[in-house]
Amino acid sequence: MTGPELFLALGAVVTLLGAVRLLTTPDSMRRVVALYVTGAGTLLILVSLSATGPGEPDPVLQALALTGIVITISVTGLALVLVRRIEDGDDDD
Amino acid sequence: MSWETVLDVLLATSVLGVAVATLFAPRRTSSVMLFLVLGLLLVLVWTRLGAPDVALAEAAIASGVTGALLVSALTRRSAAGSAETPRGGWRSAAAELAVAGTGGVLLGGVLVGAARDGLRPDRLGDLALDVDGVVDQPVTTVLLDLRALDTLLEVAVLAAAVLAALAVHREGESSIGIRSDTRPVLVSFVRLTTPVVLLLTGWFLVAGSSRPGGAFQAGAVLAGAALLLLLTGRKDLVPTGRWLRPAVVLGLAVFLAAAVLTRLVEGGWLDLPASWGVAVVLVVETALVVSIAAGLTVLVALSRPRYVDATASTETLGGAAPSDPPRRQTEELT
Repeated sequence: MTGPELFLALGAVVTLLGAVRLLTTPDSMRRVVALYVTGAGTLLILVSLSATGPGEPDPVLQALALTGIVITISVTGLALVLVRRIEDGDDDD
Repeated sequence: MSWETVLDVLLATSVLGVAVATLFAPRRTSSVMLFLVLGLLLVLVWTRLGAPDVALAEAAIASGVTGALLVSALTRRSAAGSAETPRGGWRSAAAELAVAGTGGVLLGGVLVGAARDGLRPDRLGDLALDVDGVVDQPVTTVLLDLRALDTLLEVAVLAAAVLAALAVHREGESSIGIRSDTRPVLVSFVRLTTPVVLLLTGWFLVAGSSRPGGAFQAGAVLAGAALLLLLTGRKDLVPTGRWLRPAVVLGLAVFLAAAVLTRLVEGGWLDLPASWGVAVVLVVETALVVSIAAGLTVLVALSRPRYVDATASTETLGGAAPSDPPRRQTEELT
């Protein structure tokens, strides 16, 4: 097993760990973290796929990973604003 | 076993361990801190896998800005200390670990097999490497030339998320609660670092056409500078209030204008001509930097709790607010 393949398998494990935790945790803030870890796992899969094989790394998959990072931060930011709104609402009641 | 293999195994083990610890940490605070460690480890992984662009973006956007987001969202809840014990205990955690671990190893096996099957000489990536794009850097070529529509939609997603966050925010954008901290050492630090950060932003932007770097990395670094300025009370240097929404959608607008321009002149949407394509890419990237920086700053500012603690003063972006004596506004310093 080469280096990129090791990270490919690691990416699969991290993705599933994050996804399972996302489904089972009761705390909303932790869910945001779990969502992010799931995203990090898929990025691991993408980037290690770009590095498998001989020659230069695949720029298409790296560009996809970059796009993914920006989308993830948008989603995380919006999710945290929503979490904050929910928890502020709890305190008002 | 070579040193490279040892390093790979060490790195992979640390990532796995920190990911598990992040997900199963008993307290929110430790979860977020471990998450920051995970981000740093991932930067090392991207570098190891030969993806410096992704490493830069991860360091600036993912670790930097997301860290700021999560830590700022933590502040009050950790002070209150409520809702921090997870339900279930170690037994359900062990079950989750077993399910995810087994599934992950199976999925990993499938993926490794698929990756080996897919090793053909005519991979999409090799085709992209051979393309004679308007800029030299292959990742920037893919982002802004070959797959420009993807990037356009990505910018649209960011703008939509920021506008949605502004809409959900109860007080409206005129009163984003920022507690300014104007202790002299911090203010001097920010005054010294801001020009350096601006220089780095420009470098990332221009360097993106020939080596690792680009609009997203530059935007995230600029957002860091804007946040530092906001947190130390220099609201005059950061576009707020009226200029906030235009700054957020500027990148999308310029990108769309570039699409229309290329359609009119060249006959294809975002079909960059060889002669002035570089200029279009640079203009679009510059507008993207402004929008990404503004968007990320807004997201971090909005996810901060309304009241940091009972004694701290909450400043609004719209107007003056009281400040307590130890953290007095020191406008005369600046």
